Parts: sequence; structure tokens; C-alpha cells
Amino acid sequence: MSSKARPFRLPSPLLSLYGLLVVGLPLAGLGYALLGSVGLVGPLATGFTGRYWQALGADTGLLYAALYSGWVALASVGIATGLALLLVLRAQPTLRRWPLPGLLYVPLLMPALVVGFYLFQLLSRAGWLSRISFQLGLIPRLESFPELVQDGAGLGIILGHVLLTFPLLTLLFLAIYQETRLDEYRQLTLTLGASLKQFRQRVAVPVLLRRAAPTLLLSFIATLGAYDIPLLLGRPYPQMLSVYIANRLQRFDLRELPAAYLAGFLVAAALLGLIVLLLRLTRRHAL
Amino acid sequence: MKKALLVLLPTTLLVGCGTHEQRTPQQILAQPWPQIEAKGKGQPVSMMMWQGDPLINRYMNTYVKPEVKRRYGIDLQLAAGQGAGLVQTLAAEQQANQPSEADLLWINGETFYQLRQVEALLGPFVAKLPNASLLDLQNPFINTDFQQPVAGMECPWGNVQFTFIYDSARVARPPKSFAELPAFVKAHPGQFTIPNEFTGMTLLKSWMIALSGDPKLFQGKFDAAVYKKWSGALWRQVNASKPYFWKQGQTFPEQLAPLHQLFANGEVAFTFSNNDAEVDNKVNQKVFPATARAYVPAPGTIQNSHYLGIVRHAQHPEAAMLVVNFLISPEAQLKKMDPNVWGDHTVLNLKALPAAQRQKFEQLPSRRYAPRREAIQGLALPEPDPEYMTRLFKDFRTYVIEGTPVPAS
Amino acid sequence: MRSDFASPGISPPDPLSKKEGAPVRESDSEPRKSGAPSFLERGSGGRAVFLAAALILLFGLPFVLLGLLAVGENWRFPQAMPPAYSLDAVRSLLAADNDLLLGLGRSLLLAGTVAVVATAGGFALARAMAQSRSTARWEAASYLPYALPPVLLAVLIQPFIIRLHLSGSVGGVLVGLLLVALPFATLLMRSFWSAQTTEYEHLARTLGCTPGQALRQVLLPLAWPLLRTALVQTFLLAWFDFGLTNVLSVGKVRTLTVQVFTYIGEANAPLAAVASLLLLLPPVVLLLVNKSALLRKP
Repeated sequence: MSSKARPFRLPSPLLSLYGLLVVGLPLAGLGYALLGSVGLVGPLATGFTGRYWQALGADTGLLYAALYSGWVALASVGIATGLALLLVLRAQPTLRRWPLPGLLYVPLLMPALVVGFYLFQLLSRAGWLSRISFQLGLIPRLESFPELVQDGAGLGIILGHVLLTFPLLTLLFLAIYQETRLDEYRQLTLTLGASLKQFRQRVAVPVLLRRAAPTLLLSFIATLGAYDIPLLLGRPYPQMLSVYIANRLQRFDLRELPAAYLAGFLVAAALLGLIVLLLRLTRRHAL
Repeated sequence: MKKALLVLLPTTLLVGCGTHEQRTPQQILAQPWPQIEAKGKGQPVSMMMWQGDPLINRYMNTYVKPEVKRRYGIDLQLAAGQGAGLVQTLAAEQQANQPSEADLLWINGETFYQLRQVEALLGPFVAKLPNASLLDLQNPFINTDFQQPVAGMECPWGNVQFTFIYDSARVARPPKSFAELPAFVKAHPGQFTIPNEFTGMTLLKSWMIALSGDPKLFQGKFDAAVYKKWSGALWRQVNASKPYFWKQGQTFPEQLAPLHQLFANGEVAFTFSNNDAEVDNKVNQKVFPATARAYVPAPGTIQNSHYLGIVRHAQHPEAAMLVVNFLISPEAQLKKMDPNVWGDHTVLNLKALPAAQRQKFEQLPSRRYAPRREAIQGLALPEPDPEYMTRLFKDFRTYVIEGTPVPAS
Repeated sequence: MRSDFASPGISPPDPLSKKEGAPVRESDSEPRKSGAPSFLERGSGGRAVFLAAALILLFGLPFVLLGLLAVGENWRFPQAMPPAYSLDAVRSLLAADNDLLLGLGRSLLLAGTVAVVATAGGFALARAMAQSRSTARWEAASYLPYALPPVLLAVLIQPFIIRLHLSGSVGGVLVGLLLVALPFATLLMRSFWSAQTTEYEHLARTLGCTPGQALRQVLLPLAWPLLRTALVQTFLLAWFDFGLTNVLSVGKVRTLTVQVFTYIGEANAPLAAVASLLLLLPPVVLLLVNKSALLRKP
């Protein structure tokens, strides 16, 4: 199974085992899903059929799930990046002073599942904010409280991911700011008569974004495949990809299973393509 | 790959690789009860069950677990598992021809049907159990599971009927029948929703049968024409009411507990239960307000039973049988029927019990908020073929949640 | 990480920055040696306080709400605070039949094993990769588990986990978690095995160290900061996981996250909150003990 063998030298046994686990097992799973999607394996497997692939065009569920996940991931990473840039470029001295450096680590301690549970308890119509608003007379009835979780646009899901990502990105940008000696560039641009705004827009932001690009893309991919938060804060429709696939695999009708395998296969293949692209980009531009 | 992984992770050798000799169901079931009892003692039993209700979990954890430990030295381990996920796991184990991770299952309906399809159940075993003689197996609501004869492949455990639950302090006159429901929903927008799970599907089945006006249509094997006609009518009616549902019908609760929560918070006026006595236990727990009441709308709702099945390749089938026998003992059934404990109606034939025991069943703290059993027995509809449920599930998602137009019939 | 902050580029305070109100200036939380005031700009005090307050509120609120939920009794809309308090949910931790403490133990054991195996494995694998002819390819391959969301990964490998007799066992969950943690640790350790490290190793050997001594006395001390980060990170990775564990364990390996989800499913907010707080405990301890080990992604 290890395809990494060179004609004249085999990789070390350790690496072979590693390849078997890290590459072999997922690829074998992908192959199994592919076979499942054409009816060759799985419970109640009926023998080869292209039916499920053909039915793909009529099934908009997967497409919607993909689009919805794309929207949520884009919005989450976008907002988190914006917030982190804002903090690093506009409030850096504060960031370095007690208690902020410690505070920024707090979200790293929170499992996504707990964040989902917490946000639901805080933001649902019968949640804490709604109760407080009601007591303060801000809303006359529970129904007047805006829909912040399990809403159509995925606000709750996005908020959850922003909460988890932006502190991490802030810390990352801070580190990059130091490493690339942006402060010296700032002095330089200012000496040359440019404004601070110009420094930020033309120098700092591009440098920070370029250096952080791999991490940003990884966060984007991770959010695309997020499960815990959309499971708790999402709607039955549209669903994010991981929830959609897990749900389809657990539906009551076993005959639906090949279609679920197909969805799993397609999503896995697409994400693999995305990460290969990311690796190419990283290497070419030596980010 | 197998070898490589095991070398890489020596820990894996220690766990899960049971080398049990595979016995045929016949060999297992041929043993006389004393032998089964002797073999089952001191074994662990892994039971897969729906774990969505705290009271049920508590009954299992604080009563059943210690009792089987005390009586048989059985270590009962409970795990979450139900429906298609359960079937898939068992089917995969079956395909790989290996002992199962599960011994005992809490099932009914379509899970029973699918497990039989993939031949994952051990049986017929019910007749082996000493307590089986007490079961009310003449009752069609108990001996037939979604139109399928139980045939000893699963053992009845409890019997329940679907009810509407409403808050009498908020709703003075709830809809008395399914026919009144659409007008009621329209007059009280935002108060009604359908959970997208088991209980919601039972609601939809009852509603569909009500629309057809003839429960007999839904007896026997699945009839595609009947389904198409009456599910079409159902979706049209549901979709016409959808704008007046909770959150304008834009979304639906995915589980029952969140709906109960919405009801408790006063966000909706109705919740539902597959268990006619649940309102009592929820009020007793103070989860629901004391003004909550349950009722059965005309022309009736589905009454069904839930069962215990043993896995064909179970590692501890004898111990599982001991646990099942205990679960259908008068003692365990009585405890379970108490609304303060669970409120699940017994599957025992009370007439077959000694007078003293029968009296205990009859003297249980009476239901205070749920209708009496005798009053709703006339409103009980049998479960249709599991295929109706499977289709409703799929189509509810397609035609109601996702809003795809219903094809004209 | 800390050494980065101590960069020599000390620049004089910039007059222009006063106008902007938020000068970007190199500094850190440690006290400055020079007596010069750190921040000369006006108005930043108020903003700093505001920002700190906002972040404290943002990140402190979860603990407050979870705490209230854990001790609140029959707390429903429209009450802004629980009508009654009870330690029942917390006390149930001590009850014999309670699964939460067992879950805590299970999670600790699982995450601890993953951390140790992945870090040790990553250390060795990164070295093997550095010496391999196709380093870049191995590195690329290590990104593969990143591409797949844990739940999808679990769903894909499940048929094989079942065939390996590992379904529903701690072993199966361990394999799944290592599938993610091992490449993570390996990529993290890659930067350690530089040409310089190899030189140090050679030097040690030339000076008469045995391979074991070179490892213990030279390599491990050198690698320690990275190893520590890898340990912490892979521990948290396993500690936080819910989807993968839930799928591969078939509901049987009831770690803390799985229990949190069960309690949420039965709308049992007090126990879900207690379990959530238990889940937050070890990372908080880690943070207090060692903040810098928490950050750093490959």
C-alpha cells in the first residue's frame, strides 16, 4: 500500500507504518466509500449500479450543504481575521499588557462542543440574554427576541467559530508582527512621509496576511468540515457538510446508504483536492 | 494493514480482540434455562439503547444495573445506539463475521425490520424465558410490531400510546381532533411544531391515518398507492399550516428533549410524547408546569410496544437473556410503570399474575395528568408497516423542511 | 516563542503615533527596564480598559453561565437568575452510579495516551522524514488527515475499524485520534530536525557519546520546548474531540465530550454544565502551568 517506495531504497519501517496509518487507512476508507456508492459493499449491497451517481444531479441537498458550509467558513474566517487584524494594528500596546495576553488564550481551552452548548444557552430565544432583556423590559415577549441560533443564515455557528478562531489569529499576527520586524518598517514608512493608514494598508496587512495564509486556509478548511458547533446551533436544513453526511449515514432507510457513501466520498475528495492545492501554493510562494 | 496497525499500536492487542468461538443460534438456544442461567452469571452485558430521556436513563442506571449485578453478578453496560446507526454497525460486524460489541438492544419497528433483514438478531428466544408466560402475547398491540409478528425474535418490554401534551393554563380548548388541528394552528400562530424524529413521525402517521378516514388501509404490507395518496394529502395540509408553525415553519426541532424544553419555556403550546404517561413524570420532575395535560385527539393515535432484542453474534447471549428475563419480571415492570420512575405501561398480562402482585399494579400512584388507559384504548391505532415511517421521514424532510413542491397525485 | 519577543529592534517612541491614538510599539507584558513611559498616546487608557473589559466579559461569561446552569434549579424563561440553587448536579459527581467521574478518567487516559504516543512517534517520525529522500512528499502526506473533518474521517475508516475488531473500544478511538494527532506532532517536530541539530548530534557522537547518551543529553533537552508544545497540543486535540470519538466508539467509549452531548440531548442543562466545566478544568490547569506551550501550530 505504501506508494512512497523508491526503486533503489525502501523507506524506513517506521515511515512505512506511518504511511500505512496516515495515508493508507484514509485512502482505503475513501475506496470503501466509492465502492459503497456503486452498491458493491455495505449492508444490503445489491451489486454494481450507477444509479446513485446518476441521481446526484437531482439531489440538491449536498450542493446546498457545500454552499452553506462555504458561506459559514468564509464568514467565520473572514470576520475572525478582520477582528484579529484590527486588534493587532490598532490596539497592540493594550494587547501586550496584562491581562490581555492571558485572556487571548482562554478560547484555546474551550472545546467546540462546550462553546456550542454555551452559545445556545446564552442566545436562544429562551436563553439568558433573552431572559435578561425581558426582565429589563427590552422585549415584550419571548418571540420578540431575535433569532441568533438555529437561524437561517447560520449566525450562531459563525459566532461560535469566530469566538474560537479570532484570539488564535490575534496571537499569530502578533508573533508575525514581531518576527517580520514590522515595527521597523512602520518607522521607515513614517519617516518617508507616508501616513500610518498607508503603512497599515500597504505594508502591514499584506505582510501579515501573506505570512498567515497557510494557517488561514487551514482554518477555512477546518471550519468547512466543522461538526460540533453546527450540530448544536444549526438547523435541520440547510446543514453543514459534516452534519449532513453523518445524518445521511444514520437515516432510517438502509437503502439510502449508498447515496450517503457517495456524499462522503465526494466531500472527502474535494477537501483533499483543496489541501493539495494549498500545499502547492505554499511551496510555490514559499509562504 | 491489519498486522501493521497492531504492531504500531500494541495497545490494540489488549482491547477488543476477543477470541470467542462462534456458536450457532441453535446451539445457544438449545440450552435449558438452568444452563443458560449458570453460563450467564457473572458476565458483562453491553446494551445499546436510546438515551434521550433522563428518567429512563435513571431507571436503567440506578435500578436495573444494581439489580442484575446483585442477582446474577452481571455488569450491565449501557451505550447510546438506535436506529440506522445501530443496524449499520451490526451489519458491518455481521459481514466481517465477528463477535458483536453489543449483546442486548432496545428496538422496535423499522429497526426490528432492518435487523431481521440483515439477520442480526438471535432467536426465537422469548419462549426460553421463565417470565415469558406472564407476557400479554394475545394483545395485538404487543404481539405485532409495525405489522410484523414478533415471533419470539424480540421480547416485549413496554407499551405506550402517542399523546398531545398542552398547557391548560395557556390553551383553554385544544383541538379535539386532527380535523380541527389546521384551523387551530392558524388561529394560534407560532405555537405548534413537529419534531423531526421518532415522536414527530408517529404524529405524522396518526395524522395521515386520520386524513384517510380508514385505519384499515394501513394494515398489512406497505401499499405504495395508499402511501402516495394519503401522504400527498398530509403534506398539502402540513404545508398549508406551515407558516403558522413555530418560527414560521422555517425550522423544526431535531430531537424531542429540545421540544419539551420549548414547551417548558412557553415558547410553544404543544409537545408530544410516544408515552401516554410521560406528562405525569415530567410534571413530577417539575420539567413541565403542573398545568400540563395530555390527551389523544380523535380519531385516535398510534399505540405500540417497544422490545428487547439479542444480537445474533452477541458475546454474552446467556447473560443478555437473564437481563431480559429480569426486565419483564413483575417487579421490574411494576417499578417501570410508576410515573415517578418512568411511567411505561406494562406488557404483562395482569390476569396471569397472582392476586397480590396484580393489586400492586392496580394500586400504582394513579396518573394525574395523563388520560386513563381505559379511556384511550378505544382511540388506539396499530402501527403501520415500517416502510410508511421510513418514507414519511424522508418525505417530511423533502417536502416540508426543504420545501420541495409536492408532486400532484 | 518568548525569544521572539525579545528582538533587538528597539525603536524610539514615535511622535506621529500620538495623533493616531494607537501607536504600534514593540513591548511586552514584562516590566520595561528603561524608565521611559511605555505609552505616550492620549486616550489609550480608556480604550485599553474598554478592550480588556470586553474581552474579559467575552471569555469570562461562559464560565459564569455554565456555573449558574450547574447550580440553578428549574431555571426557565423568563427568570433572569435561577429561582433556586442546588448542588444536586455537582454532588451527583460523588454518587456511585455517576458516570461523569469515570468519563473524566476515561478522557484523561485517552488524551494522555494520545499525547505521549503521538509526541514520541512524531519525534522519531520527523527524524526519519528528515533523513528520507522524499522529505517533501512525506510532509505533504502528513497534511492528509487535515483535509478530512474528523467526523468524515471516522465515518470513512469505520468499516476497517470494525474489521480490526476495534469498533466500540478504546483501541478504535485511539487509532482514530492518532490518525489526526500523529501527523500533527510530526509536522510540529519537523522544524527541530534541522541541519544544525544533526550537527549537534554528530558533535556529541564525536565527543564520545553513545547514541543513547546523545539522545538523552543533547537531543531531548534541545527538543524539549517543542516536545512540550506537542504534548500539550495533542492532548488537547484528543481531549476536545467529540465527533470522531462518538462515531468510532459507537456510543460506548463515553468520554466527557460524549457525555456532554448526551446531557444536551436529554435537555439536562445542569449536568451538561457540570460536564462542560469538568471538560474545561485540565486545559485551565495547563494554561496556568504553561501558557506558551498552548500556542504554535505547524
